[in-house]
Amino acid sequence: MKKLLFVICVVLVSAAMLFASGAPEQKKEETKVALGSAPVTITFWHCASDDAGVLMDKYIKEFNETNKYQITVNAIYQGQYSDATTLMKTILSAENYSELPDIMQLDATGKVAFFDSGKAFTIDDAEAYFGQSIRGDYLEGALGNWEYSGSQLGLPFATSTTVTYYNKDLLAKAGWDHCPDTFADIIKLSADMKAAGISAAAYGTVPNSPTLANWIGQLGSYIVNYKNGSEASATKLECIDNGALKTFLTEWKAMYDAGALVNQSLSTNQFIAGEVAVFTNSSANVSNILSKVNGAFEVGAGTYLRVNDSASYGATVSGSCLVMFDSGDSLKKAATWEFIKYMTGEGVQVDFAIGTGYTPAYKSASDNAAYKEFLAATPQFAVAADQLAKTPASMRSITIGPSVDFYYAIQNEVSDMLSKNLAVDDVVKSMGDNLQALLDNYHRTNP
Amino acid sequence: MMRLKTKNAIKDTVVSIIAIAIGLIIIFPIIYCVCGAFKTESEFLTPNLLPGSFSYTKNFSDALRKGDLLRYIGNSFIVAFFGTLIRMVLSILAAYAFAYFDFRFKNVLFFLILGTMMIPGDVLLATNYLTISKLHMLNTYFACMVVSFVSASQMFMLRQRFMSVPRDMREAAQIDGYGDLSYLITILIPICRPVITTLFVHSFINLWNAYLWPLIVTASKPAMRTIMVGITKLNSWEDENYQLVLAGVCISLIPSMILFIIMRRNMRKGGMEGSLVG
Repeated sequence: MKKLLFVICVVLVSAAMLFASGAPEQKKEETKVALGSAPVTITFWHCASDDAGVLMDKYIKEFNETNKYQITVNAIYQGQYSDATTLMKTILSAENYSELPDIMQLDATGKVAFFDSGKAFTIDDAEAYFGQSIRGDYLEGALGNWEYSGSQLGLPFATSTTVTYYNKDLLAKAGWDHCPDTFADIIKLSADMKAAGISAAAYGTVPNSPTLANWIGQLGSYIVNYKNGSEASATKLECIDNGALKTFLTEWKAMYDAGALVNQSLSTNQFIAGEVAVFTNSSANVSNILSKVNGAFEVGAGTYLRVNDSASYGATVSGSCLVMFDSGDSLKKAATWEFIKYMTGEGVQVDFAIGTGYTPAYKSASDNAAYKEFLAATPQFAVAADQLAKTPASMRSITIGPSVDFYYAIQNEVSDMLSKNLAVDDVVKSMGDNLQALLDNYHRTNP
Repeated sequence: MMRLKTKNAIKDTVVSIIAIAIGLIIIFPIIYCVCGAFKTESEFLTPNLLPGSFSYTKNFSDALRKGDLLRYIGNSFIVAFFGTLIRMVLSILAAYAFAYFDFRFKNVLFFLILGTMMIPGDVLLATNYLTISKLHMLNTYFACMVVSFVSASQMFMLRQRFMSVPRDMREAAQIDGYGDLSYLITILIPICRPVITTLFVHSFINLWNAYLWPLIVTASKPAMRTIMVGITKLNSWEDENYQLVLAGVCISLIPSMILFIIMRRNMRKGGMEGSLVG
């Protein structure tokens, strides 16, 4: 038996030595090389598929052909945002930094991993390195979404928010000529639709973590501390003691009890098919909705539904940003800096906005003639920009470790409250306990 | 007698109805997928199951073009076919050793191998990636398939099947001058062909459907990507194109279906023999 143990130990130690025998990475001295002095290729990971992918290819081709610094961008599609984040995390865990790209498109799920990577070349770093200050060129709300722990991680590329779409024809039949503004309006609209003999649902969704963050944000609170986890890793709930969650749940239940709310996440297709009158969704979905409705009815757009009359207007910013990694190569860094400015600059932002429905985060884009003309022709696209201006700068989307568990826990709790007719106070307590337990558990396993 | 016959007829009818219902439930997603793939954008918004016409093939051509599916089908085939082939060879050899040879620590090793079945694949993602990258094998077909070369469950199933073949047969073969390898190849594998075929198809479909691992190990070389990655390119967060995705899924089903059709007779036999083996 002793012999057996000895053999096992020898095998294990040998295996460990085999895989741990790599020499520690030496930090190379970085010498600055002027951009344009030699050809340089940088790698760009993106998650743009379908039509957005076609646009992305167009921008890359344009940049490669027109830049005067001999820069070639090698763009690689890396699946959905969550897949790209998993890939980044895997490479970071394996410390195989040479596989990291120079620049990457990232959504909120990858923020913390990027910040903790030790290889992040943040906008603060870049501004100091290149002696340029460019942050003033971008909308504050859009920039704020990509800030973490006091660092500006990246620059906004695809900026969206959540807005309210409505079927103008259906609402007109019910005697409405404007977009519902609050939950109370939905109750009134539902009554008017029923009175007019309209069988379509007034509104239907099940709140999840991002949408709850919007509504709790309208009430001047955050779901979790550290400004919804935007300044540091969230450790506790912040919407229980101040009554924000209770206010939201009370108004939500009132909508359901009045028969105005369907306790289901209704899809874009159901809105397009005319099965629901009011629909809240990403502003980036506007092109898709307009093209699929294809004139079957008139689509209206308005600001995101408010919880009640005293709630603020607006919703958090979402979408994706571009972040840079520190390759330790000054030429690559300079090329990446040029490329990120090109991708987030006026030209690309306006074209991408027109092609997809995202809102340009570059300030001067709003004065761009082509964009102005476009907004005049399709006013539904203008709602997102108007809403961003109305949204309190303090509102933040939610960034937490157990993001998936949180998402479904919120959906289940709120949905159960309606389907099982539970008391609001009981649900507040249950959500408080369960969501806090998820946070605690996450911190226990990720100290 | 008549009552017994009636009773049996009723029983048969009920069982048949239940079997058909279960069959329909299982096959319905495929029917939905095929019908959806032939629908136009506006037809997809209606609750009708059937498309207006099965001659509308634009979704298929768009899926092939936008997702670069032809290139990815080739990659997936190489990964799934050769990955399965090597996996089968290794599983058969290991199963043979555990079924017929007596050696020290045989049981310990056997349970160690079985123990690996309890480790979730996601846990191994980072460590496997680290190994592959240290061996400088990233962005190769080999990297896409190497983690599937060893399958504890297949080895276990084959071992059970091999053990059900009477040992006398091996002894008789040895008397006739067969060595272990020739006995395995000329006698045992033909006897166990149904089980081997079933495992081959199962393994092929598993590797064909792999998504995350091939995506991760081909991060710098998109030309090496597999078909499942191509299918994600057909849909975007901003624009739901389910009919296009369904067309892509239909295309991706073709090789697995062909393999299944070719091997179905052997698989059915395999299922029956497995039940006898218990």
